[in-house]
Amino acid sequence: MNIIIIGCGRVGARLASLLSSSGHSVVVIDKNPEAFERLERSFKGKTIEGVGFDRKTLIEAGIEHADALAAVTNGDNSNIVVASVAAQDFHVPRVVARINDPVRAEIFPKLGITTISSTLWTSGRIFEYLVSPELHNVFSVGSAGVQLYEFEVQNVLVDRNVQDLNVANEIRVVAITREGVGFIPVLGSVFKRRDRVLVAVDTRSIDKLKAMLGLSN
Amino acid sequence: MQPLSILIIGVGKLGQESGQRLIAAGHRLTFVEKDHQLAQNAREIFGNRIFLGDGCDPKVLEQAGISTAQVIIAATGDDEDNLIIAELAHHIYAVQSVLTRVNRPENQWLFTAHRGVDSAFCPVSMAADFIKAEIDKQADKIQG
Repeated sequence: MNIIIIGCGRVGARLASLLSSSGHSVVVIDKNPEAFERLERSFKGKTIEGVGFDRKTLIEAGIEHADALAAVTNGDNSNIVVASVAAQDFHVPRVVARINDPVRAEIFPKLGITTISSTLWTSGRIFEYLVSPELHNVFSVGSAGVQLYEFEVQNVLVDRNVQDLNVANEIRVVAITREGVGFIPVLGSVFKRRDRVLVAVDTRSIDKLKAMLGLSN
Repeated sequence: MQPLSILIIGVGKLGQESGQRLIAAGHRLTFVEKDHQLAQNAREIFGNRIFLGDGCDPKVLEQAGISTAQVIIAATGDDEDNLIIAELAHHIYAVQSVLTRVNRPENQWLFTAHRGVDSAFCPVSMAADFIKAEIDKQADKIQG
């Protein structure tokens, strides 16, 4: 994929290296050329000194043929503007803006801009680690309306029917890893000790899931 | 003319000057300014109509009464901020008329209707246009 990254701070540089090393063609834009020193030596992409919402800079970066763009400077407003330009003016198919302010992170998705909030994400992960270490969040769907959690089967569930954990519209067991082999449970599947279970949960029903797993405080 | 409820974001010289004229014309004005010193100075003219806070923060806009504003003027010295204010004002708060200041002429192309802008004005371009026209006139006079 042809991917443009705006902002070469810690997040941008790390992202650029990840994408470049997995074979994507990457262009990084930053107004400060010294920022490019953060890129790993193995980075094979291109760097451009400039402002992310400058039309000429974006065109030089190849936005007209870009498959994706990530606006990850530390300025929320710049990121939103660049994301809006990429999506609406240049029709880049995949666009994401990094937003620190949780309020703006929740408002702009309503205007069609996909946001990732470092603040919401980090505090959420730390919260879970502190409060429910047995339950690991592996993925948030959409604006975190649905969460994918992973847990190891404990006493309460051993030999119980997988179906018992499913609650319509709230909780659904998606997959199980047993002795290193993953499978999708069918009617009649039963939990075994040490199974790793992947479950989709409506964010509002997390306490219910915890109670069913015997994890409630 | 019916008085309008107008919210101005940014009370630099432009915000102050237009605010004073609009008040004199009978409109109801409210201002938001994030710089402490600028807000303090503006209070001497506009009193408690000044709200201290970031105009890109929806909570600040709500405190300043954006939900009842009929017109918003995004007049900060930062083009990104003015664009965010326009997006919020038009798409989230359904403000009927959104005017925005453009600081850097090369950013003018960003200020479009789909980003919530009804009308954009660039003081630098306006002054430059004026100077150009004035020079054309003077040239006619001097050479003619």
